[in-house]
Amino acid sequence: MSLFFQLVVSGLASGAIYAALAIALVLIFRATSIVNFGQGEMATFSAYCTWQMINWGVPVWLSLLICLAASFIVGIIVFRSFIQPLIGAPIEAMVVVTLGLFVLFQAVTMWIWGADQRAFPSIFPDGGIAIGGVQVRISALGTLLALAIAALSIGLVFRFTRLGLSMRASAYDRTKSMLVGIKVQRMLMLGWGLAAVIGMIAAVLIAPRLLLSPTMMTPILFYGLAAATLGGWDSPFGAVVGGLLVGVAESLGGSYLPMVGAELRIVVPIALTLIILLVKPVGLFGSYKVTKL
Amino acid sequence: MNSRSLPTFIKVGAAAIALIAPVFLPDFLLFEVCIALSYSIAVLGLNLLMGFAGQICLAQGALFGFGAYVTAYLNAEFGLSPYWTLPAAAVLTAAAGLAVGLPALRLQGLQLAIITFGIAAAFPQALLKFDWLTGGVSGLPIDSLETPAPFAGRPELWLYLVTVACAGVAVLLVSLVLFGDTGRTLRAQRDNAQIAEALGVNLTKVRLWAFGISSALAGLGGGVFAILNGFISPQSFLAAVSINIVIASIVGGTTTITGAFIGGLFIVFVPTWTSDINLALGNVIYGLALIGVMMISGNGVVGLVKKLVCGMLQTTSGNVPSLKSIQGRKQWIALRK
Repeated sequence: MSLFFQLVVSGLASGAIYAALAIALVLIFRATSIVNFGQGEMATFSAYCTWQMINWGVPVWLSLLICLAASFIVGIIVFRSFIQPLIGAPIEAMVVVTLGLFVLFQAVTMWIWGADQRAFPSIFPDGGIAIGGVQVRISALGTLLALAIAALSIGLVFRFTRLGLSMRASAYDRTKSMLVGIKVQRMLMLGWGLAAVIGMIAAVLIAPRLLLSPTMMTPILFYGLAAATLGGWDSPFGAVVGGLLVGVAESLGGSYLPMVGAELRIVVPIALTLIILLVKPVGLFGSYKVTKL
Repeated sequence: MNSRSLPTFIKVGAAAIALIAPVFLPDFLLFEVCIALSYSIAVLGLNLLMGFAGQICLAQGALFGFGAYVTAYLNAEFGLSPYWTLPAAAVLTAAAGLAVGLPALRLQGLQLAIITFGIAAAFPQALLKFDWLTGGVSGLPIDSLETPAPFAGRPELWLYLVTVACAGVAVLLVSLVLFGDTGRTLRAQRDNAQIAEALGVNLTKVRLWAFGISSALAGLGGGVFAILNGFISPQSFLAAVSINIVIASIVGGTTTITGAFIGGLFIVFVPTWTSDINLALGNVIYGLALIGVMMISGNGVVGLVKKLVCGMLQTTSGNVPSLKSIQGRKQWIALRK
């Protein structure tokens, strides 16, 4: 039984990272109805920038702060230059553009820093604590805590501030928000910037475990997509639950299902996605949309 | 339809070039062109699905690999002649594609993109996992084709002709689908799913058809790829192949047939030419091409050429009318009279 709990704990730790990326994806989807396939690679790029600054001798926390700000700006630049001109284009066109972001950011990262793996310093201390026979690493706790803080602060901003209200309004109905005086373009821009910041948090949290490489976030992106589908594409809360569920399911499935095993873990989120699409296509916490002719 | 397809002389010219190409191309380049053609068959399928049906599939490379493995397995295990494995590859891949697409196709395009993205990532892993079937890392060999006597001196030429024949079959199939009723239905549901449904189009059925044919073409392309190489391993079907096929479709022009071949050549020759300069350069070009095409013309190289050619043909009439506005369409009709 202790193996089971051990697996659940490690699943929650990876799930927190999937959840973080899923929040970023959901933020962008709510704002602009786009699934950003480039999110993970943008995050990798930010993580590389952080690594570079730490390598230059800048203190870890300072470089994190600077790069978080920089990611925010990169998110805005990407939105302004590639996404804004195409708003209203059909879905497949938007998928192609974000796929372009995926390829482009990965290639640029590889061009600047090469394909070698690099060690990324953990922001949490080493070691672990034992809770009833289950060994919990401090970095796992820290990851969960970071996710909780990020999710909570976003939730609070959305719920209780004027800015959050405007952002929700412009996500809900662009035209009507414009009519009541909300600067919709600015809100969409903010959404993209915020998503880039959260994506970078996910990348920085996972980098010590996976080692930094240009393709580091590609599998994570898929888990994030599965998490967002599971939780519902218009619900940040759903993204968190979905991420944790995907993490635990992956960890348990990889160990208990012999035909899945460690190599085919990625099948678990695919199966989860297929099941949720068959049973409740809008996801656990998503809402149905009515289309008018 | 006439006003939207390339002038006949360009098509005839392209076909003529394809026929005389092997005469002056060295063997190695001819082989590269064959590989490009095998990709083009898969790209053609994706064009049908993405350009005409409005559904995006990011697992075309995995289906391509599935077809390649069907060919290799039937040949290696049952000693089936490589020629006969090709139809089997197409049919079995179509079945596999439908099994994947059925749950996702009930919904809007995004879900299909997400599911297929996962399949593309999982496929190479699955190949390694089921090594009793696929040979694992060491891959599977395929017998080389029996070359008929007249081509004995240059077997590459025979391979080229077989590849061209398969590409021809693919073009024929796609044209048959597009120019009939099915093509109209496909475009209708792409342009406005609700109205099409209200007019009696069964969305799921139409999309499944498109997905099935697209998968079949991916399988056929994969089979040809396996025969050309004579050996396949999971390394040839990484997730990047699926993305490359999307790139080929977009760069060539996703609502065209000619574009599939331009795209196929693009994804084979760009990496060859750029890897000498910088390994990442090819991907930078890919990324910029994907975004650029979407922002500039939306219909790739063929779209640009059409614009240019139409512009040249109609310089006398001043501006080229746009098909997007009603006024523009009226001008077009007037011009064609």
